[in-house]
Amino acid sequence: MSAVLEIKGLNKAFGGIRVADEINLSLHAGRVLGLIGPNGAGKTSLFNLVCGVVKPDSGEVFLDGAPLAGLKTFERARLGLARTWQNIRLFPSLSVLDNVLIGANDYPGTKLTNVLFRPGMVRAAAYRNLEKAHGILARCGLSDTHDKLVSDLPYGRQKLVGVARALMSDAKCLLLDEPMAGVEGHSYAAIQAVVREVAASGIAVGVVEHNVAFVRDLCDEGVFMFSGKILARGAVADLISDRQLTELYFGT
Amino acid sequence: MDFFYVIVIMVGIYVILATSFNFVIGYGGLISVAHPAFFALGAYASGILARDLGWPVLLTMPIGALFAFASSLLISLPSLRVSGDYLMIASIGFQLGLVEVIKHVSFTGGPGGLTAIPQFLVRDYGTVSYVIFTLVIAVAVVLVTRRIVNSDYGRAISALRDDELAFATLGKNAMWLKIWVIALASGLAGLAGAIYAHYFRFVAPEQFEVLQSAAMLTMVVVGGMRTIWGPVIGAILLQTLPQAITFINLPPSILGPLQGLLFTGVVLLFMFFRPAGLIPAPAIWQGGTSAPIDRKGKLDVRGA
Ligand SMILES: Nc1ncnc2c1ncn2[C@@H]1O[C@H](COP(=O)(O)OP(=O)(O)O)[C@@H](O)[C@H]1O
Ligand SMILES: [Mg+2]
Repeated sequence: MSAVLEIKGLNKAFGGIRVADEINLSLHAGRVLGLIGPNGAGKTSLFNLVCGVVKPDSGEVFLDGAPLAGLKTFERARLGLARTWQNIRLFPSLSVLDNVLIGANDYPGTKLTNVLFRPGMVRAAAYRNLEKAHGILARCGLSDTHDKLVSDLPYGRQKLVGVARALMSDAKCLLLDEPMAGVEGHSYAAIQAVVREVAASGIAVGVVEHNVAFVRDLCDEGVFMFSGKILARGAVADLISDRQLTELYFGT
Repeated sequence: MDFFYVIVIMVGIYVILATSFNFVIGYGGLISVAHPAFFALGAYASGILARDLGWPVLLTMPIGALFAFASSLLISLPSLRVSGDYLMIASIGFQLGLVEVIKHVSFTGGPGGLTAIPQFLVRDYGTVSYVIFTLVIAVAVVLVTRRIVNSDYGRAISALRDDELAFATLGKNAMWLKIWVIALASGLAGLAGAIYAHYFRFVAPEQFEVLQSAAMLTMVVVGGMRTIWGPVIGAILLQTLPQAITFINLPPSILGPLQGLLFTGVVLLFMFFRPAGLIPAPAIWQGGTSAPIDRKGKLDVRGA
């Protein structure tokens, strides 16, 4: 099976800190890969490298076999790469619904000439997107909050909005950066269910997460990162029961 | 009566300027001080084409606007390729540089200004026709701006202002959106300039100094930044108030400074008592396509 996202020999250093050290990694359709490792291991940096937010020193990234080198962040996103952020990064002046709507790819209304001269076409697409966004909100259990300011939502629900926004784009590959940090109860179950559904629909999912139960329940496979290196890969249960890795993780 | 017409025309022109400036700094969150420069480009381009080439004013006005629109690329393309922070620096350079250029080349009339700009409408149909013309355009500018900021386009502008990186990771080209916002606003400023030039028939470089952007900003802030009607009310208020006291018969030596004081006083009052302006912007973006939604997220598009 060919990989949806393929990372080959990726290297990156910030000054003296190596955040990516010969990273090789593949994400496959319909599968969830867990990235675990202590803070500062380079997990978020790896997402940033893949998305084009940070330029690698060397190495390559492929999406569906096509090289991403030289493409800007927004171009990579258009090819089917979506992500969430550890610190959420929602749009504070937009409602929950509008935060999700922004994620849509098919939007003639983001061309000025269409807005001014082709209102019918714009409205038709807007209705399609509106319907889709409401569907995603319903799946995430966010329907009742669709007209709220995101800052009025509890933290866990804000994380859910971040996931909902990423889903709006019909990505082939979804990268989740600590979706469960600070999340509990209702939102926890909702995010878990949504990620399962997303994977089942054939999307390749990568998830950085410290919540061991979440990673074990959800991930088909895991890698352990430490100071920019992948130290081990395999079944998540094996990784988290490994004595050496556990020591690195907790820094003992 | 003519004095009254002049005030109304100036109100119309400043409604266009304040509305378009608000589009850039309020809605777009893009800091630029070069709005007066684009005002000047429209005025000079239209004025020179009509006077020296004899082109009809109805044609030179949109050309003036287009010229300002296109010239904005000179600051937005290089600065936004790097990062948004450079926009302000580029705009300062452009603003100061352009006024210097106008002063030092001959075909603009140099520091003495461009004189004998052809009139439009007034000779054939009277001053009232120009007042109506100006107001119609001002209203159209406001309505078009409202349409844009409440559309999908406006939603994207809001998101871009909030978080550019998150915006880009959703597949949106932040750089070109910013370039378009600046170009559109600059084109409108150019249009205002053309309207100005063909009524007063004289423009001089000092009318377009960098301080003009402070006046425009004041109108935006006093009226309500990032609202549609705020800049309109701000422009009306700050254009008419200083004029109103001219009706009290004061010697010019007192009147000038007093008008300045009044302007500053209004700004100070607002800063302390109504920092969000007369019309405070809502916390949440208000646009979008509304359609009834049922509980399952299905849309009721009958009649849509
Ligand atoms: N843009 C940057 N510039 C400099 N150092 C950075 C930058 N981004 C991350 N780092 C550093 O790289 C290391 C890895 O960070 P990160 O990728 O966020 O780790 P993780 O997500 O695994 O906790 C940290 O030491 C962090 O301080
Ligand atoms: Mg991280």
